[in-house]
Amino acid sequence: MSTALRGAEGGPATSPSLDSLGAQQQALLQVLLARPGSARADAAEECLTGLLDTRHMQTSRGLAAYQANGYAMAERSLLSAYPVVAALIGGDNFVLLARDLWHHSPPQRGDLAQWGDALPGFLRHNAQLADVPYLSDVARVEWALFNAAGAADAAPDPGSFARLAQETPEGLALTLAPGTAIIDSPYPVASLIAAHGDDTPSLETAAQRLRDGQGEHALVWRQGLRPRLQSISPGASALVQALLAGADLPQALDAAMDAADPDEHFDFSAWLNAAVTDAVVIGVHSLPGALPTPTEENTP
Amino acid sequence: MGIGWRHPHYAALLEQLPNLDFIEVHSENFFAPGGSALAVLREGRASYPVSLHGVGLSLGSATGIDPWHLDRLASLVREIEPVRVSDHASFARGTGLHAADLLPVPMSRAALDAMCANVNRVQDRLQRTIAVENLSAYVTWRVADLDEPTFLNALAQRTGCQLLVDVNNIYVNALNAQLRGESQDPLADCRRWLDAIQPRHVVELHLAGHVHCGDIVIDDHGSRVDNTVWSLYGHAVERLGAVPTLIEWDTDLPEFQVLLDEARRARSTAERALHRASEPELAA
Repeated sequence: MSTALRGAEGGPATSPSLDSLGAQQQALLQVLLARPGSARADAAEECLTGLLDTRHMQTSRGLAAYQANGYAMAERSLLSAYPVVAALIGGDNFVLLARDLWHHSPPQRGDLAQWGDALPGFLRHNAQLADVPYLSDVARVEWALFNAAGAADAAPDPGSFARLAQETPEGLALTLAPGTAIIDSPYPVASLIAAHGDDTPSLETAAQRLRDGQGEHALVWRQGLRPRLQSISPGASALVQALLAGADLPQALDAAMDAADPDEHFDFSAWLNAAVTDAVVIGVHSLPGALPTPTEENTP
Repeated sequence: MGIGWRHPHYAALLEQLPNLDFIEVHSENFFAPGGSALAVLREGRASYPVSLHGVGLSLGSATGIDPWHLDRLASLVREIEPVRVSDHASFARGTGLHAADLLPVPMSRAALDAMCANVNRVQDRLQRTIAVENLSAYVTWRVADLDEPTFLNALAQRTGCQLLVDVNNIYVNALNAQLRGESQDPLADCRRWLDAIQPRHVVELHLAGHVHCGDIVIDDHGSRVDNTVWSLYGHAVERLGAVPTLIEWDTDLPEFQVLLDEARRARSTAERALHRASEPELAA
């Protein structure tokens, strides 16, 4: 058996022999997922002519029905993850975008919730959207919110906060909420998304921040069952990113101090209080391999 | 009797707790390891047995089962302890692609071998039998060594899997065969299909609506069950017995009460069919 056809737009076209079940199935998948009118789609369709019963025009109608169903699923799936991108470019454009992405980066898994992660990169390199350069970063934040919604549950551990007073901070880390992510952007991405949700800030304010060239550090996390989004300071962004990368508390604090704006006095205690209240931080844990070290006051 | 439990009806079911024997959900909608979707399914599971019905395993793929998909399904099965686990006699997965649809496999011995291997792999991993459903097909492969009931009977015989018979799908395929000029009597063809399936394998029946588009009939799950499908359902119950039956509705979802009405109609239709089956001389 020769090499099977590749992904919808990935790799060179090949001319497989079609005597195996796998090659036959790949030809049908190509017809459905390759961009209509492309050389790849035409080649796959020619292969299928000998494989499918084409004596009746219902075959072409059936293929069109599968393609239409694919488009409908693409639109529905993408809209559930990217409602603000859809609002920003408009419904008709979003439909075209979903179809474009469907052909450019077709699904690879049988769970469509896994499809759509390629959208931010696809938007960034789309010349037709060059006049809305912030769209890609908005999409990155929406994808993080979408993932936070289904992230593995984690119960808060309020009792563990006592360790901050009882142990030296080396080897200790803060436990972050399910789905915690940071997106640093030169655009006011958190404001743009929040303005399309609870109107705080208003769309006018978000648009003004965009015109002013104001960037934002977007923090995404899940509080209970609710995905949340907040614009945070550069220092707080660096601290959370360090924790996400596996830093202990002293390392994370160093990162926060290094990244803080000159006029930002990063107050760790104030940040921690707010982060615990909003359930961004849900506990304290030891990093793997670190042994708990009592503070001198607690040493017998 | 059971109903497909979809997002717009989550709250209605949990508030009303209607008299149903089970609820059915699409497995993939609950693959996320946490969050609100899984939380609501746990709530539903507290009141009803759950039938986990997959649409993405791609049991007929020559490229095999996606290990990621199987891991997620296994995790969900452990969590929910479903009354049944099922998917379709279809494929969607190829090399680097997944069409996210239910595409027909050729009715060939090679396709049967591939599906048997995949079903065995899934059952070995889940440590339980799964049910495999016949589907609506909108294209037909030239190669056809077997007819569909023979293919499905052989699949069940070789793997020990169960069968899930979608009565509407049988009828949709027969109507499309009629449009192609290949069937003179779709209803009779459907009865023959049902008579050919081995009753001991069948563990669930599905009923749904379809739509005529002139040159093709589409199984869109977007309307009430067609009267002819109700008649076929009666025939299916007479032959297969009191098999758990599901009302599926996935597009243009109606008020929750409409689904419950359809479930009640399924119950009364099944009761009449079972009565006829127990008194064959009256039926004659």
